[in-house]
Amino acid sequence: MKRKIGLGILFSRSGTYSLLGEASRAGALKGIAQVNGDPTLDVAFDPIERDPGGNVDAYAPLCEEILRDEDVRHVVGCTTSWSRKEVIPALERMDGALWYPTPYEGFEASDRIVYTHGCPNQHLLPLMEYTFSQYGMRGYLTGSNYIWGWEMNRLAREIVLRGGGSVLGERYLPLGSTEVGRIVEEIADLKPDFVLNQLIGPSQYAFLAAMAELRHRDPFFGAANCPVLSCNLTECELPAIGAPAEGLISAGPWFRGLPQPMPGNFGRDDFISSLEAAAHASVMMLAHLLSGNPGGEKLPLSLLLSRPEAAQMGLSARTHHSRLPVAIAQVRQGAFHLLRSAPPRDGDPYLTRDIAVPAPLRVVK
Amino acid sequence: MRRKLRIPDLGGARAAILHRPHPTVSALTRQLEAIGLDVDCHWPELPPSARAADYLFIDVDTAHEDQFPWAPGEAPMPMIALVGSEAPGRIEWLMNFGADAQILKPVGDGGAYSALLIARATFDARAELACEIEALRRRLGQRQTVVRAVAMLATRGKSEDEAYAQLRGLAMAWRVSFEEAAERIVAPAPGEETDNG
Repeated sequence: MKRKIGLGILFSRSGTYSLLGEASRAGALKGIAQVNGDPTLDVAFDPIERDPGGNVDAYAPLCEEILRDEDVRHVVGCTTSWSRKEVIPALERMDGALWYPTPYEGFEASDRIVYTHGCPNQHLLPLMEYTFSQYGMRGYLTGSNYIWGWEMNRLAREIVLRGGGSVLGERYLPLGSTEVGRIVEEIADLKPDFVLNQLIGPSQYAFLAAMAELRHRDPFFGAANCPVLSCNLTECELPAIGAPAEGLISAGPWFRGLPQPMPGNFGRDDFISSLEAAAHASVMMLAHLLSGNPGGEKLPLSLLLSRPEAAQMGLSARTHHSRLPVAIAQVRQGAFHLLRSAPPRDGDPYLTRDIAVPAPLRVVK
Repeated sequence: MRRKLRIPDLGGARAAILHRPHPTVSALTRQLEAIGLDVDCHWPELPPSARAADYLFIDVDTAHEDQFPWAPGEAPMPMIALVGSEAPGRIEWLMNFGADAQILKPVGDGGAYSALLIARATFDARAELACEIEALRRRLGQRQTVVRAVAMLATRGKSEDEAYAQLRGLAMAWRVSFEEAAERIVAPAPGEETDNG
């Protein structure tokens, strides 16, 4: 007999990043369906869903609304760091917990949150290491005026400088802006070894289109030189970008077609993107922590995550981050093609464990 | 002035907390361990071994000078104040005792990481400033020596300006500071004393 437990779902289905929200939501619902149909798990989830519509101010009140139901203590949700930060006070007030299945910039370890997608030691660091060895260490940094872009580029700058490379330029765009002309002109002039792109939403789409145009007219950029890099681009945005995504190199825990996404997926790999896979893993891992653990849903996260099952699934009781494999992949003919993979590594949100800053490696060009 | 933040090496760093057993201590310990520090909690006194800690957190509500094995303002590591009561007397005590950063109580889910960064940067800047002031003081104290050296050089038929220029030239040739060159000149030559004695 299954025990029914309410589970909050809090993703935006409209607004500038709805593609990401929809991917996560699909993964969470897939996880719920799997848990509910699995006779070996003695829990079933009852989804309670709210849609903040891409409005950052809607997250906290909606999260509180979900948690007002006594039977709901866990919510899977949030895409941006901004909304995640907004939700924390609501979680504290209502004694709730958030499973956050999106890549982010690190430097957080809330007692109320489980981080099930990558942080910089799982995406940015390996991506930089790969780029240094394959393309060189003269970089151009760009991003949206927002915590993700600022912090990721600050880290990238530190890594590049420590490795002995240089940052040729760094420029930001307001959220939602598509005025990418000046950035692309600067890149055309500077001819860096790589462009680290932390733009999000429409800004990124416009930027990739303009870079594709640059590749078309300038032979330097046409010859597979100067790749555009990303730490959060997944398959779920490829249809919106189309051909201009070709050649982009992204880092993540998994890309479609790779076997074995994440420990929490329990062998399943029918996902479109790692966003979907990480949301699915969140639901599955929660189910495994609650199954055979009556009343477990009311336990504080710290106790739930100190169960041996948590460690087996790669969840750290110390940082609340998950252990993830690393894949570096390039968009070729509309799909990600694996360039390099690395074994799973623990999340290190404050980079106090393995700040293995890539040494000035041999440059293969 | 724009300061560049140098991020300290926090993995395996040691933090000491001086606070009675309390949920604030558990919340702070959790945060520090998540960041990667090793934490020791002490109460009611700080043992001398705490000198080896890299960071110290103190409870301003209850703190008094006898708890610490050093004088006010002389903590050997960055100190972070846990502030509960905002009564002016407590804040005055805190200012006299000296802290490099603060966190308001109750300590919840965040705040420790930024406090560590700010405390380390403030502590280092303070130490650097103290060094600089000490060096300036020393130079100031040597003014008289410089005047005497210039006077000695001037007795050999030079103008004061020429004597000054000569001293500068000697300092450069010896690769020492101006003040140190002056000291060498006024110091009796090695053989001199025995000759006179």
